Amino acid sequence: MKVLLLGGNGMLGPWVVKAMADRHQLRVTDVNEPRKGFKHEFRNLDASNLDAVLRAAEGMDCIVNLSVLRHDRKLAWDVSTRGNYNMMAAAVEHGIRRVVNTGPHFQLSGPQYEDWDFGLNPDMPPQPGTRLYALSKAMGQEICRVFAERHDLYVITLLYYNMKLPGSLAAPLEKQVNYHDDMTPFSLAWTDCGEAVRCAVEVELSKLPSRCETFHTFSDIPHDKFKSDKIQRVLGFRPRYHLEAMWNKGYKTT
Amino acid sequence: MKILVTSAMSAMGRTVAGALKKHDVKLTDLTGGCTGGIVANNLNHDAETDRLVDGVEAIIHTGYEGQEGDASSLLDYYSRRTYNLLLAASNARVDRCIYISTLKLLQDYEENLTVTERWRSHPPSNDPALLACHIGELVCKEFARDRLIKVATLRLGWPIVTGQRSKATATGETAALATDDLATVLNAALGAKIEQWQDVHVQSPAPGQRYLLHAAQKLFSFPVPPPTPPGQPVARKGARR
Repeated sequence: MKVLLLGGNGMLGPWVVKAMADRHQLRVTDVNEPRKGFKHEFRNLDASNLDAVLRAAEGMDCIVNLSVLRHDRKLAWDVSTRGNYNMMAAAVEHGIRRVVNTGPHFQLSGPQYEDWDFGLNPDMPPQPGTRLYALSKAMGQEICRVFAERHDLYVITLLYYNMKLPGSLAAPLEKQVNYHDDMTPFSLAWTDCGEAVRCAVEVELSKLPSRCETFHTFSDIPHDKFKSDKIQRVLGFRPRYHLEAMWNKGYKTT
Repeated sequence: MKILVTSAMSAMGRTVAGALKKHDVKLTDLTGGCTGGIVANNLNHDAETDRLVDGVEAIIHTGYEGQEGDASSLLDYYSRRTYNLLLAASNARVDRCIYISTLKLLQDYEENLTVTERWRSHPPSNDPALLACHIGELVCKEFARDRLIKVATLRLGWPIVTGQRSKATATGETAALATDDLATVLNAALGAKIEQWQDVHVQSPAPGQRYLLHAAQKLFSFPVPPPTPPGQPVARKGARR
């Protein structure tokens, strides 16, 4: 399959490239240049540039959106909201029927859910709240939903929260890992993060319950704060790392 | 009451502002071509936007047909700039925002259906003005959900006809809205006790009218119900239908 990766050189991108490199033909785009020795087609592209996204999507079978900009009060909307519009416009323009979108868990489960409830699932109506990152991504997701409602294409959205290195289980920017001290109950090893995208790219569209489906993307963990069964059931995703050293006091770490 | 009206250069903004004669109205629009006492402001995340809302008690944010442009500029206005406006407003403790939307978001429903505020809107993907208006609704809703400001979304009927209700009726359009009726609702929305968040459908009552006005009736007593015929029991306010 010919796959366009938007924002493919950020934190998640390299793991997605690794998961899909041998199975698909990748066109990777980002505002940052890839590392030396990068073996795939690369285009320097800003997702908020409609014409550039339209050109990059030509000839593709699938678009995967990994682009994000969290904190800048203008760029966050440019990338996360308008960037999604550009992606969906490109999908329609080129007859691309599969779009894989990614985002943070709180574009759906904002504080009004997370601070209050358990059993939170990916089919709930979004309540992102007013945090810039959450709301700008949520509006991008809403644009995807509208396009899926109006056009013969599918949007598969993977929501992430906390990512950990498969070896040390360290989270980004974390200097010390506190084993046996619990963790964010929506965590996944980076390797598995990439694998989840591969599953979304490869799932038969006829197996999706609707043209717009959202999935919580995290490992098998016992908290039941969030539900992750849907991604295993529908996309066939099987996480390799279960992060048990974080939440099981009897699990040996050495 | 001190009120800020956005997109004041637009026809919709002028219609809204024209309905607020009893209030102290401050008009604003983006910097391109502002004239005649309209404060130029790009609704960026800056001190200018903070000053714009300082001392304001209510904002009327013109959501539909307030701005013109391509999809990028419209989405930018109704997502980012709306976010900046409402964040500044909530920091300044502005009590409420009246978001001017449109009943066109519900035009996919056939006319025989009893479409109230409890029916989900279906924005099109190929009409940037409607899609952006819808996104603006959702941005406003999250500010209400976080209890930072009260929001009433007024979804206006179309076409908007200048003058009395009879002129709207005379068009034969089943969702027409007379500016006299719009003025009645706007002034009620500014003064009424409202919840944290509400959608309100607004059109002029007419034979075969397309949209039901339950929320407008409950919140703003719009339209004024016809007098009860002699001998009939008077309907109790809030009685179950």
